[in-house]
Amino acid sequence: MAIEKHDKENSGGGRPVAEKGEHIVARHLIEDDNIKEEKNLVIDGVDVSGRWNTFIISRVNSEFDRSFFEEIKKTVAGSRINRCWQCGMCTASCTVTPLYRRFNPRAFIYMMQLGNLKELKKYIDVAWRCVGCYKCSQRCPKQVNPAEMMEALALVIKKYFPEEVKTKLKLDEEVKKIYEDMIIGHGRLDLAKLHTYAIQKSGRTKELLGKIERDAIFKMVKDGRAFSVLRLGKPHNWSSSKEAMENYLRKLNTIENTEAGV
Amino acid sequence: MSENILVIGGGPAGLNAAVMLSELGVNVALVERDSFLGGNPKKFKYKFLFPDMQPADNVIGELIKRAESGGNIKVYYSSEVSDFKENGKKFDAVIKSASGSETKTFDSVIVATGFEHFDPARDAKYSYQLFDDVIDIKDLERMMGENNFVRPSNGKPPKKVAFILCVGSRDRHVGNQYCSRVCCTVSVKQAIEMREHFPDCEAYIFYMDIRTYGFFEDLYWKAMEEHDVQIVKGRIAEITSGPDNTVVCKGEDTLLRGPFEIPFDMVVLASGMEGGPQSPEISSKLGIELDEHGFLKPENVTLSPFKSNKPGVFLAGACTGPKAISDSITEGAAAAMNAYTYAVKNR
Repeated sequence: MAIEKHDKENSGGGRPVAEKGEHIVARHLIEDDNIKEEKNLVIDGVDVSGRWNTFIISRVNSEFDRSFFEEIKKTVAGSRINRCWQCGMCTASCTVTPLYRRFNPRAFIYMMQLGNLKELKKYIDVAWRCVGCYKCSQRCPKQVNPAEMMEALALVIKKYFPEEVKTKLKLDEEVKKIYEDMIIGHGRLDLAKLHTYAIQKSGRTKELLGKIERDAIFKMVKDGRAFSVLRLGKPHNWSSSKEAMENYLRKLNTIENTEAGV
Repeated sequence: MSENILVIGGGPAGLNAAVMLSELGVNVALVERDSFLGGNPKKFKYKFLFPDMQPADNVIGELIKRAESGGNIKVYYSSEVSDFKENGKKFDAVIKSASGSETKTFDSVIVATGFEHFDPARDAKYSYQLFDDVIDIKDLERMMGENNFVRPSNGKPPKKVAFILCVGSRDRHVGNQYCSRVCCTVSVKQAIEMREHFPDCEAYIFYMDIRTYGFFEDLYWKAMEEHDVQIVKGRIAEITSGPDNTVVCKGEDTLLRGPFEIPFDMVVLASGMEGGPQSPEISSKLGIELDEHGFLKPENVTLSPFKSNKPGVFLAGACTGPKAISDSITEGAAAAMNAYTYAVKNR
């Protein structure tokens, strides 16, 4: 069977073709990726361009791709992927999820376990939103370390979908700024600051100092828990690390600027 | 000459062992650290027991009555075994109580030191002891037992209650990897009781897995089918305060995919079981093995779950791991039989 595919330009005019999947009844039920349609296609000399070759790819998953799981497991950040049992503690703890509901560490880890790249691809725009507060890793009952799993995810997405990452990936510039300030300024993530930001952004500042909170803070001051946070200093020999990071960021900016032709 | 057997711990397992041995004509010394018998069920005033909701008094009260009326049992209240030595095949133990120390020789020993409820304050995310309306299953059991089911913060009856399963169990983060076995059933039982007595109070159970094993499953079905208890799949990561003096559970609905923050009047934490400080203490005192979970280790978990690694020292009840009261009572009888056999053989 001879199959010929033509670019529209080369097909020498040809008859007008419908938009992809345009004629399908209940088109809204089917995602773009599930419709296979060549605008110009000739099979055995018969022109079946457009709607004649429309094919709806099955929406039923027919495979668990374990090779992907193995690949993640070999990385340092993703080595504990086999521990996850989908309890949802990570997403429940997440600083980012209340702002971007589609950012769901539990679901991402599950997709990675099953090798469901097709599903993962839909979340490229939010895949890099992890702010690294590590609340998930601190609370995870299986110590999967979801925070670093998100790092593994980001790298994987970059590897498998380089084009989409370039066009679709969005960073939250505000978070990036706060994050950089915290790391460079203090050498540690300031959870209180990240939280305040998140709460401000969602407009729920009133909740911060309710009666129960005030009582709880009083209790924590009384039994000394509140002060343990203050005792944490900057990391050892921080000034040289800070300098190295600033240099790196400066260099990175220069490179980006050069690439962009600035 | 009749045998002398030492039973350490006066909970369901220890009581049943003591009663059975007493019926065999053995002289039993029952050492209890509290000033009363009955163990945790008595201490925390359990009211109704699963699976058949019979009054706890039918079981625990009955065992105490039998132990107290059994002529061969000497109960040492508020006391402990302060020294323990092997003496050939027998054992010399010093029992220390308020009235002084007493040294006695025993033919065999049954350890039934039980468990401790996990202290949810150790898992800071649940705000236990910070928020008045966050309680745990033992607190609720006591409240029900005292007919005082109200919100601790304002004394009013709650209208919406959340149960959170697996608190202090199945969690590397708090250091307990095991399942505490009974908390699912206890929570479901409490939800049923609550809905029976306070029908206008809604009950929600946040779960990861519901492990109402065996016939306890009936209770789980009953809770849903007869009492409209709603189950929600997801673990709770934070408890904060909400409007109108509510407590907010922050979690993820893993079936619908996405975070939720729901205000409740009261939150009940299904805190698990732990070996407690008594397990390592008795382990080093008696020279018996402790397992990696902080409970006492049986010689063979399947063949002889009631034997310690030291011949003549037997184990019964929750000191070897989380279990239901009925299992503890069964093990008390099994340990009694074995302790008796050992004593008779080495007479």
